[in-house]
Amino acid sequence: MSFLIPCPNCGKRSVYEFRFGGEVKSRPEAGASDGAWLGYCYATANRERAQKEWWFHTYGCRQWLYAVRDTMTNEVAETSLPEDTP
Amino acid sequence: MSSDSGLRHSRESGNPSSANGTTDGQSAVTFYFNGNPVDAQASDTVASALYRTGRRVFSRSFKYHRPRGLLCVAGRCPNCLMNVDGTPNVRACTQPVQDGMQVTHQNAKPSLETDFLAVAERFSWAMPVGFYYKTFTHPWMWHIAEPFIRRAAGLGKIDRAPDPAADHPYEHVFLYTATAVVGGGPHGMRAALDAAAQGGGVVLIDDQPELGGHLRYSSSDTEASRTSPGSNRGSNGEESENLDDLVQRIHETSSITVFTSATCFGLYEGSLLGIMHRSPESPVAQRLTQLRTERIVVATGAHEVPLLFENNDIPGVMLSSGVMRLIGLHGVRPGERAVVVGNGEPAASTAKELENAGITVAGIVPPAQVVKAMGRKHVSGLQTREQRFACDLVVMCGDWVPDAGLVAQAGGSVEWDAERAVFATGNLPDGVSAVGAVTGESLPPAVGLALSTDSNPKKVIVCPCEDVTLHDLRTAVDEGFDHIETLKRYTTTTMGPCQGKMCQQAAIDICARQTGRTLQETGRTTSRPPTSPVPLGALAGQHLHPTKRTPMHAKHDEIGCVWMDMGEWKRPLYYGTPDSKKESVEQEYWAVRQRVGVIDLSTLGKLDVRGRDATKLLDKVYTNRFSDLRVGRARYGVICDEAGIILDDGTVSRISEDHYFITTTTGNIEFVQEWLEWWLAGSGWCVHITNVTGGMGAVNVAGPKARATLAKLTKRDLGNKRFGYMRCRQADVAGVPSLMLRIGFVGETGWELHFPSEYGEHVWDAIMDAGSEFDIRPFGVETQRVLRLEKKHVIVSVDTDATSNPIEADMAWVAKLDKEDFIGKAAISRAQNRAPREKLVGFVMDEDVLPPDGAVIIADDQPAGRVTSVRHSPVNEKVIGLAWVAAELAEAGQAIAMNADGRRVTARIVEEPFYDPAQKRLRQ
Repeated sequence: MSFLIPCPNCGKRSVYEFRFGGEVKSRPEAGASDGAWLGYCYATANRERAQKEWWFHTYGCRQWLYAVRDTMTNEVAETSLPEDTP
Repeated sequence: MSSDSGLRHSRESGNPSSANGTTDGQSAVTFYFNGNPVDAQASDTVASALYRTGRRVFSRSFKYHRPRGLLCVAGRCPNCLMNVDGTPNVRACTQPVQDGMQVTHQNAKPSLETDFLAVAERFSWAMPVGFYYKTFTHPWMWHIAEPFIRRAAGLGKIDRAPDPAADHPYEHVFLYTATAVVGGGPHGMRAALDAAAQGGGVVLIDDQPELGGHLRYSSSDTEASRTSPGSNRGSNGEESENLDDLVQRIHETSSITVFTSATCFGLYEGSLLGIMHRSPESPVAQRLTQLRTERIVVATGAHEVPLLFENNDIPGVMLSSGVMRLIGLHGVRPGERAVVVGNGEPAASTAKELENAGITVAGIVPPAQVVKAMGRKHVSGLQTREQRFACDLVVMCGDWVPDAGLVAQAGGSVEWDAERAVFATGNLPDGVSAVGAVTGESLPPAVGLALSTDSNPKKVIVCPCEDVTLHDLRTAVDEGFDHIETLKRYTTTTMGPCQGKMCQQAAIDICARQTGRTLQETGRTTSRPPTSPVPLGALAGQHLHPTKRTPMHAKHDEIGCVWMDMGEWKRPLYYGTPDSKKESVEQEYWAVRQRVGVIDLSTLGKLDVRGRDATKLLDKVYTNRFSDLRVGRARYGVICDEAGIILDDGTVSRISEDHYFITTTTGNIEFVQEWLEWWLAGSGWCVHITNVTGGMGAVNVAGPKARATLAKLTKRDLGNKRFGYMRCRQADVAGVPSLMLRIGFVGETGWELHFPSEYGEHVWDAIMDAGSEFDIRPFGVETQRVLRLEKKHVIVSVDTDATSNPIEADMAWVAKLDKEDFIGKAAISRAQNRAPREKLVGFVMDEDVLPPDGAVIIADDQPAGRVTSVRHSPVNEKVIGLAWVAAELAEAGQAIAMNADGRRVTARIVEEPFYDPAQKRLRQ
C-alpha cells in the first residue's frame, strides 16, 4: 500500500501521512432501531470501486477529510473538507 | 539492471592483465579473506581480486554443497555470496574492495576447497524433488530432522552480537522526482537526457558502480552493434554515441541525479520505487530510498542465462558476459584454454575476443553437441558427442532474458513472442515506459534447451540457488505439478537469492516441453518485489525511538528513581533503587496518606478547548453533561465510542463560559484530539482545540498537609469554602501562573497544578521546599497505582479493555442517558436495559498472597473472569484488586477463586472502595 492522497490543504501526499477513518456513514437518528445502530457500529458496505471514506491528515494539516477512493486500484479521485461538502 | 547485454567487441589491447580503461594497475588496497591478506587494485571487487590470486571456488551450493565459481560476475547469480564485515550473503562480484575489509566464506566446513558437507550429494537419491513433503509426514519427524538440516543447508549466518545495526546503520531516505530512469546503460542514459530536456528532475539509477551498462567493457563498433543483444544503435539507425560523451552529458545536466551501486528492487503503487544502495560513507551500511515519481522509464536491459548440460555449474563454466566482465572491467584473464559453447555469430565473436585477450580457444561447440563438463572442483575438459576437449574454461553463450521484473510489477505484460523467439514486454500502464533490451526488441532469438529430450542426466543444474536439477523439474511435472506456479512452489526453483534470474526461462521451457504446451500457454510466474534480495535491516531502518521527558526529569534523576516507559514518556516508577521497590513504595504511600506527597503528572494529555460551541461539542462527545458545569468547576468525564466502549477518561475544567481545560490519559492524547476534531468536522460549530501537553508541566500535591504546603506558595485561599472539592482556579503558585484543580485521584485532599513547562523545575523545587517541614515525599507511578486502587478508581485500558462499557464497569453514573444525544448513547442505553454479561468489581484476598495482574477468575473449574489490577494495600494490610467477573458472581460477599503461587486461592467481592468510602478525606 503506497498510494497518494491529494489533501485539499497540502496537496498529494503519501498515504502513510494519514489515518484511515473508515467509510463515511450516516449516523442514525436518536431513537432509531437497534438494527440501525448495529449496522452503523459494525457493518461496512465495502464497496467495489468508488467509496467515500474519512481520512485524517495526521502528519500534515491535521484535518479530517473526505476522500473518494477506488477500492480496486487505490486511486483517490477526489478529496474535500467536510465544511466545504454539502 | 544495467543494459548488460551487447559485449562482443574487438579489443585492441591483447593482454587483459595490462592496464586498460577501468583498472588503474595500482595495488592500492589490502583486504582479508578468511583472515589472510589479499592485495587488490582500487577498482577491484572482492571477487575479481580473489580470482586474480587464483581462487576459483567461491561458494558451496545450498543443498548438495557442490563447489561453485564465478558465473555472471554481475551480481545476479548466487555463486559468490560471502560474508563481508559481518554482513552475510554479500555478492562478492559487485562488492568494491576496501582497505581492511574482512571477508569470509559461507556454508562450507572447513574450507571452500574441502567441504565435509559435500557428502550430501552422495545422498541425493534420498532427497528427491518434494523431499520435505514426501519425507516429513508427521510433525515429530521434522522436529528430529530440523537441527541437522538447518546446520547443513542454507546460506550465510547472521551475526547476532554485537548489534549489527549499531555498527552498520541502515537509513531511509524519501525523495521525489518527475522522472526516474532505471538502468544506466546507453538506452537509460539517452532516456534520462531526453526527460531532462523536457524539463523536471530526473533520477538515473544503476546497480553497477559506474554508468555505461555493457559499453563499459564493450566497444561499439558496427560489427558489435549488428550482432549484440540490446544493441546500442537506435532503432531508426542513428549512430551510437561514444560512452564517455554520454556519461559526460549526463553529469553536465544539473537536473539529472545519478545513483550508482543502487538496486531498484520494486515498483509499487503510486509510482513508488524502492531503491537499495550502499551509503556513501561505508560500502556495507545500506540506505533505502523510497523514490516517488510521475514517470518511470525501465531500461534494465537483459541478462544472459546458463545453458543446460551435465555439470554446467562447476567452477570454470562461465557465462560469456561474465568472462567479458572479468577481462574488460578488471583486467583479469579467466583462463588459459577455453571452449566456447554457442551458436553462430555470438559464439564466433566471443571466441575472437577471448583470443584477443590471449586465451587459447580450443573449439567452438554448438550447445546441442555438449554432453558434459568434466572435472570436480574446477573444469578440466568438455565432452561433446564427438570428442573431448581439454580446457580450464568453458564459456557459455546463453540466451538473453529481459530484466522485466519492474515491468511486470507495474502491471505490464511479459509474454513469449514465438515469432521472434524472445520474451517481450507490452501493455505498460500510463506513466511507465520501457526502452532497450528489456522490451525484447533487439535480443537474439532464444536457443532454449540445448539438451535433447530423450536424455535425462541427473546433474544438470537448472536453479543454482536451490540446487534444482533438470531431472527434479521433469519428475515434478510427472508427479502432477504441471502448472508453472505449482511447479515453482513444489521444486522451489526461482525462489532462491537470484529470484529466478538464472533459472526462470529454463524452468518455463522444461515445463512447456514436459507438458507438451507452448511457452505462451505455460506463461510466467508472478513477479513481485523485491527483484533482488534486500536486507531486512534495511527495510526496518534505523533504530530510532523517540523519548519524551517531563520538565522535571532532571529533578527525578537528582533524587534517584527507577524509570518506567509509558508510551514515549519516561516516568519515575518510584524513588529509590532497583531493589528497594517494596520499602520505597510503602514509604511514599504513607507520606501521601499521612503527610504530603507530590507526583509529576506532566505526561497527562492536555487540551485547551475554546469557542462558543465548545460546550455543545463536549456534551456530544463525553457521556457526561457539561452544559450544567459552572465556571470554576471540574468534572470527571468519560469518552465512549458509538458501541458504548470506554475510550478514554480525564477531567474537564470550565475556565470560563466558552473555555475548557481537558486532561486525557497519557498515551491517548493524540487519539482524543483526533476524536474531538472528527466530531467537529463538518458540524459548522465554532470550536478551537489545541494540544498543550508539551507546553504544560503538571504535578499533583496530595495528602493531609497538601493545603498547608501550597498555602506557602500562593495567595489563593485554599480553604474548603473558597476552593472546595472539584473546583478549578487560576492562581500564581511560586510566582508561576498556574491552573489549580482540586481533584483526588489518590483519595486525599490535593491539588493538581498545571503550569508552563519551562517553570517545571522551579515549581518542583518550591513545592519540595514548602513541604519539607511536613516531610514531603515525591511519589511515583507504582505508589499512585496502589493509592488509586484503594479508591477503586479505574485506569482506562488497564482495568478496561475493548469490550468495556460504563454500565458494566460500574460507572453508570457517568452516562447521562437523559441527555438528548451523545456518542454511544444508544449502545449504553441498550446495555442499561439488558442483563449485564460481566461486571468490574473490587475484591479482597482471603490470605496474604499476590496473584499476578491478569490472573484468571475460576468458578466451578471454569474461567469466569480476570484480574485487572492487584496490589497489597498498606492501610488494609490486605491484598486488594479489581476484576471482571461473570455477572452472576458480581455480588458483595461472593467468594471467587484464582490461581497464585501454583495453587488455588480465594477472595471476596466487596462493593465499597477499600479506603475512605465516604470521601471524607477528599473533601477535608
